[in-house]
Amino acid sequence: MADVVLSINGITKSFAGNKVLDDINLEIQRGSVHALVGENGAGKSTLVKIVGGIYQPDSGTICMNGKTVHFAGPHDAINHGISIVHQELSLVPKMSIAQNVFSHREPVNRLGFIKWAELYRKTRELLKPLGLDIDPGRPVGGLSVGVQQLIEIAKALSTDARVLILDEPTSALSEKEVDMLYKVINDLKSRGVTSIFISHKLPEVFRVSDVISVLRDGRLVGTVRKEATTPEEIIRMMVGRPLGDLYPPKSSRVGERILSVENMTRVPAFRDVSLELFRGEILGFAGLVGSGRTEVARAIFGADRIDSGRIMLGGREVKIGSPRDAIRHGICYLTEDRKDLGLFLTKTVRSNIVASSLSKFVTRNGFLRKHEIEESSRYFVDYFRLKPSDDRALVMNLSGGNQQKALLAKWICAGPKVLIADEPTRGVDVGAKSEIHRHLRQLAESGVGVIVISSELPELLGLSDRIAVFNSGRIAAFIDGKGATQEDVMRYATL
Amino acid sequence: MSVVERTSDAERASDNVRIRSGYSIKSILGARETVLLLVSITFSIILSFLSPRFLSVNNLVSIATGMTYDVIMATGMTLVLIVGGIDLSVGSILGLTGVVTTMMLRSGVSIAVSVTAGLMLGVLLGAINGTMISNFKINPFIVTLGMMAIARGAAVVLTSGYFLSNLPPSYLILGQGKLLGIPFPIYVMLLLVILFEYLLKNWSPLYTIFYIGTNPDAAELSGIKVGRMILACYVISGFLSALAGVFMTSRLAMGYAQFGLGAELRAIAASVIGGASMSGGEGSIGGTFLGVLLLAIINNGFVLLNFSVYWQGVVNGLILVLAVAVDAFRRARRGERRI
Amino acid sequence: MQLYRESGNPMARGVSSFGRLTKINNSGLVVTVVLMVVGMTIAFPYFLTPINIETMAMGFIQEAIMALGMTIVIISGGIDLSVSAVLPFTAIIIGLLFNRQVATPLAIVLSLVLATLIGVVNGVMINRLRAHPFIVTLATLTAVKGVSLVITEGGTISGFPQEFYFIGQGRVLGIPFPVLLFVVLAVLFSHLLRNHKFFQQVYFVGGNQRAARLSGINVEGLRLVIYAINSFLAGLAGIITASQYVSANTGFGLGSELRVITTVIIGGASLSGGKGSIGGTIWGIIFLAIIANAFVLSGAPTYWSDVVYGGMLLIAVLLEEYMRADRKALRRRNWRDFLTSG
Repeated sequence: MADVVLSINGITKSFAGNKVLDDINLEIQRGSVHALVGENGAGKSTLVKIVGGIYQPDSGTICMNGKTVHFAGPHDAINHGISIVHQELSLVPKMSIAQNVFSHREPVNRLGFIKWAELYRKTRELLKPLGLDIDPGRPVGGLSVGVQQLIEIAKALSTDARVLILDEPTSALSEKEVDMLYKVINDLKSRGVTSIFISHKLPEVFRVSDVISVLRDGRLVGTVRKEATTPEEIIRMMVGRPLGDLYPPKSSRVGERILSVENMTRVPAFRDVSLELFRGEILGFAGLVGSGRTEVARAIFGADRIDSGRIMLGGREVKIGSPRDAIRHGICYLTEDRKDLGLFLTKTVRSNIVASSLSKFVTRNGFLRKHEIEESSRYFVDYFRLKPSDDRALVMNLSGGNQQKALLAKWICAGPKVLIADEPTRGVDVGAKSEIHRHLRQLAESGVGVIVISSELPELLGLSDRIAVFNSGRIAAFIDGKGATQEDVMRYATL
Repeated sequence: MSVVERTSDAERASDNVRIRSGYSIKSILGARETVLLLVSITFSIILSFLSPRFLSVNNLVSIATGMTYDVIMATGMTLVLIVGGIDLSVGSILGLTGVVTTMMLRSGVSIAVSVTAGLMLGVLLGAINGTMISNFKINPFIVTLGMMAIARGAAVVLTSGYFLSNLPPSYLILGQGKLLGIPFPIYVMLLLVILFEYLLKNWSPLYTIFYIGTNPDAAELSGIKVGRMILACYVISGFLSALAGVFMTSRLAMGYAQFGLGAELRAIAASVIGGASMSGGEGSIGGTFLGVLLLAIINNGFVLLNFSVYWQGVVNGLILVLAVAVDAFRRARRGERRI
Repeated sequence: MQLYRESGNPMARGVSSFGRLTKINNSGLVVTVVLMVVGMTIAFPYFLTPINIETMAMGFIQEAIMALGMTIVIISGGIDLSVSAVLPFTAIIIGLLFNRQVATPLAIVLSLVLATLIGVVNGVMINRLRAHPFIVTLATLTAVKGVSLVITEGGTISGFPQEFYFIGQGRVLGIPFPVLLFVVLAVLFSHLLRNHKFFQQVYFVGGNQRAARLSGINVEGLRLVIYAINSFLAGLAGIITASQYVSANTGFGLGSELRVITTVIIGGASLSGGKGSIGGTIWGIIFLAIIANAFVLSGAPTYWSDVVYGGMLLIAVLLEEYMRADRKALRRRNWRDFLTSG
């Protein structure tokens, strides 16, 4: 068992002066399933990208089978038998499944022309153990995310990988697909293939892995065998402290009605949705993806048009035709897609914070009052304890948690009466997560109506005063946040 | 201002923050504009030693006059690049509006009406560009490429390829008249540069184009008027091209369909040298002005030193490469990640 | 355990390369071209005569050859403005070589090597500076044009050997040699782009550059080759032009970069990359050649042709946008269908 296939020696990496990995030493046993866990920003993804040849380390070496190797790019790593299944899908939608699986390693004749029949046959062979019986000539584009994820895995396997790295492979999979994945990992293990498994979810880590390594703040905290540890110990290692009370206390006083939606319909996303939001409360939106919860939020924000229905704000009907109207009325929407729809990545923190409230910082003729902009942005940087604390740093150099806090700051700066937060803690580490929860609660306490949309039921139950459960484009039930269980919510969401 | 109560913690932290002035020495020295200015000055000093004629008033005025059309067009181009677009039609719009204005003048229409009509035509063509780009979401490269062909073609059709001379003398004053020994167009150019530089940095509606160019979707969801501002940028670009067309026809005392041929590429080059990025969200009018200035000084040097003027193209290309290289270096230092 | 099953014969799709060759994506363009041919034949009986067809083909031959390379560049998500400078540059270089009594085959090889090198320089700069190809190739366009001007000092180079005339003016089996050359190149690149492993990567790089890099494709190396090929073809067009006119000057190929790009776009390629085909580009070439010919045959002033080109380009992209909006809606629905548990 002391057969080490991959060893990582003293790897250190910085980005723009921020140390992301600090002297990581790790040995991976051949044929084992090695889990890599840690909060977001702990350095897992960076470490994996170094092993995969995408980043070059500042110092330290990687040894495979006892020999030091140097990867100039992903192709070097692939040639050495290291394959990564990336967190984000890396498939080209217009290309066929077979071409995506083999990308540029298609079977070819001597002149380099692709042997299509063989390519399709090989692809079918690779897809079969993954439970996919599907035409390899079909474009990837129309397939569901789960199927695409499995094709991604087939792609990694097609390189005859001896070390397979799975970066949060289950985040988009259904339960059935997850089971299939575990089976595949076990098959690979019996064939001597080593898997490195990165995950947030401890139950699945304990289910599949043999060895668990914990990273925190760019350092390796420890490596333990699964039998010799408990989930509680791993969590302690991850956060460096016992997790106390995770969620802030619930609201005690709920004020007057601030927002009401009456019979809102947008075919086919949702029908006949009515809800009320009271000052000082947090209303949770639960439901499966596609149940209409995000669509309703976008419609309230004016990002999508509604077919019929009314939106009342403080007792008066308002017409909201665009996000601009919504913001003017004090309705703000924190998007679930931070990088593509939320932030201006190549701009400074300051620019981002004032992006949706420029109209507050202008003279009557529209000229900017730069001192006020600077003051406010610094205030929010301090208030949210953003790192780095210089508000002229570029947002793209911030960690996920800090980016999310900057996005929240942007909306609070706009002075919302109603804040709709869609997946406010997605891709955010545990520490920043509870900070964001606290901020949302504080916001509610200060009189803002807060709507939280989340796929994580524990978060929704812990945070919300009431929960609206969406099912197939309708609100199936309102549940009181106190005392509700995950089963209650799931029953309304799925039945 | 904010709905959040300040916590004592945050309050203390914010008191500790020293108020930094907007500009530090380092940021001024590091700015693209400073570098360009220093390079231009260096070239000027060298040139003034090599050729005593360089610093003569006549020569300086002729450099500045030669710059006006490019600066005026590049100002519009910079706005378009910042908002995340590109406008290949500026040279053709210059040609067509110049032709239309001079044709109206020759058929006896008053100067005020002819010039206004020319400028309005520029606005109209810019508006067509902008509408197709912002409403129909068509790639700006293709839209303005099509407009480039159409406007140039229309200009050729209207003139059948002939020069349109015999313009009323009072029209020529626009481009040739002088105030304190300096031609009018130079004043207009400087005024436009200062105006747009100031508005771009300080006037909220124009300032939002930086957001739009960086991430149009996020800008839309932040309540910024994305479509309207994209349209506005192309309209301004069309208007400024037409203005350059009026000055050029007046200065050269004729209209010609091929005026402004290739100007779009020069304008883009000057904007990029001045700090604009093809991916949008970056650029400044001051930088663009200095970009045109640098190219003009170098080209003037070729003339003064009796080098073959044919070397100009080579040097202009190399300067563009250099500007891009400097940019690449800056980005690398800033720590932009590759994947 | 079966997660996903699909009925139908899986091998029916695209197995035979012949089937793939004849599969036409831009049916709208093809129908338009056919209608135009019918209309033109009715209006001008002269239209389908061999002489007119040859005039049409030869009038567009430079653009046609360059469009092959540009198609590959645009599929890869790039753009190359420098071709219109490489064309006259190569013509001028070969003229210079002839003036120094270099043998014809050697002169051709040397000038093509030089042309290819310009493409390599483009590729290296795009890779190294991570700059937008538009800007990089704009810089080479300006610089190479400048070099051409320096060499010729604005004049014309002549004095080409007799045997060089064949390339631009010769005939094989009655067909002009350049047309034959184009057909060979078009078939070659079409086949390569569809079936060759190396050229398949172009679609990956254009479709999702990040993904291409992550799956181990050598994006930088590929880009180098693509721009080199494109420059090589522009050089070839330059040699043909020089042979046709038996001279060389900097006015050759003026503005051809934008005409070539127009052809490729009308042929169905997308400037955002990942989409396009040689077949589509050929239909685009035919389309524009017929329009140009219509002006000649009808005796309408050729000045109008620019206006019509521009108009056609805008109509083509408007139509494409219309169809894409349709597809987008479809895809979004697919994403919504996918359910995960909260």
